[in-house]
Amino acid sequence: MQGIVKLNILQFGLVYLLLIIILLIMKKSKINQTKFLMIASLRMTVQLVLAGLILTYIFENPHPVFVVLYIITMIAFSIRRTLNKNKQINRNFKLAVSFSLALSGLFVLSYFVMVIVGESIFNPQYTIPLAGMILGNAMTGVTLGLKSFNENIKTGRNKIDALLNLGVTPKKILLPYVNNSLETALLPTMNNMIGMGIVSLPGMMTGQILSGTQPTTAIMYQIAIMIAICTSVCLTVFCSLHFGYRTLYNKRNQIMN
Amino acid sequence: MDQIVLNTKNLSFRETIHYQDIQIQEHKVNFIVGSSGTGKSTLLRLFNATLMPSGGSIYYREKDIADIDTIELRKEVTLISQSVYLFDASIKENFRQFYEFRGLETPSEQVMLDFLNICCITFALDKDCTTMSGGERQRVYIAIFLSFTPRILMLDEPTSALDQENSHNVIQNILKHCKEKGITVIIVSHDSSLTKEFGEQIITIGKGDK
Repeated sequence: MQGIVKLNILQFGLVYLLLIIILLIMKKSKINQTKFLMIASLRMTVQLVLAGLILTYIFENPHPVFVVLYIITMIAFSIRRTLNKNKQINRNFKLAVSFSLALSGLFVLSYFVMVIVGESIFNPQYTIPLAGMILGNAMTGVTLGLKSFNENIKTGRNKIDALLNLGVTPKKILLPYVNNSLETALLPTMNNMIGMGIVSLPGMMTGQILSGTQPTTAIMYQIAIMIAICTSVCLTVFCSLHFGYRTLYNKRNQIMN
Repeated sequence: MDQIVLNTKNLSFRETIHYQDIQIQEHKVNFIVGSSGTGKSTLLRLFNATLMPSGGSIYYREKDIADIDTIELRKEVTLISQSVYLFDASIKENFRQFYEFRGLETPSEQVMLDFLNICCITFALDKDCTTMSGGERQRVYIAIFLSFTPRILMLDEPTSALDQENSHNVIQNILKHCKEKGITVIIVSHDSSLTKEFGEQIITIGKGDK
């Protein structure tokens, strides 16, 4: 095994040529998203360059405060993005989602870094990248779970009203929607696990192998992170929906619009 | 004198609907009429406490419904809403699912058939509800709700999907059944012929009335 080939700026610049292929296909297929592709590519570049610079600084000057600030920023951004994609939920539901995302993410991250890897939670080399993977996937999961929950509640309005009129408790009416949405949110992660190693070599493992890590070590990390991701998605969606759905009705068993 | 089972005092909803004080007579067929937008359906939802009034009070057997457990209230004061909901399954399965949600055992097939018969439905119990017409679905829905035998049955436009002949027969059967069981009936309907024929008390509500 050898260490990773360091890319110089010219080599790195060549990858942007691939975007021309996408632009040509878009033009031919009359997909009017060229502006979006350019903005997305530019934003990704700027964001990652900034992240790279910040991470380099933190790795060279490790301090718990930097790690804490970085994690807080990650949590804040993941909450903001999740809530932006689910604007229709009420204030208390948003609080439930925010706390669930933050606490579930922190719990799984702490367990992974401190118990499995056996490193300090303030070690930026482990905590920051793992937090990104765990929180990023939890965010995607909870966004999907909330979307499915809201859509099902919306289309099930007649059913909900009929059962309320019959004297069924809102808890009994809404719980099946919660369980159903949890399942929907978990499926992509589990499908990902099913195909792993056969259909694709996952990103984290690829990165480790490229940088010279033994494939056996990379595999162990990959398995561990996949289980951690699945747990954090499950825990975040479960807590968000279980604490959240209770905000949809009051003590008089009235469903609030 | 007839017993008053439900009555309202200075009831209003969202500052846009102000109801005159209303009295519902026990064991009678009470029709609620009025032009669109006067809050007839809202009134029924206020009666079963699925909506919260913004002012005034509702009394059920002289007790303020704000002090009554809403789940118990809805089991006694049951609303059959205008928008029909049936599970995508057979009639029998629909009975089973609604009873399961209420935490009750599924009634016998004979009981199911009796209630379907009241609503002029003659299908076999394994008939799939997804293949029925709007009017048939409405009648199956009413039959299921009726089978829970509440003390007050509120019907919101129960014949909206039925033709005149069916409307007449279904309402006649339902009212006969309710009389036998001592169930008070409140019906919101736009059909003036039904109101004239079956109404024992007709309450007209209008926007801004107080």
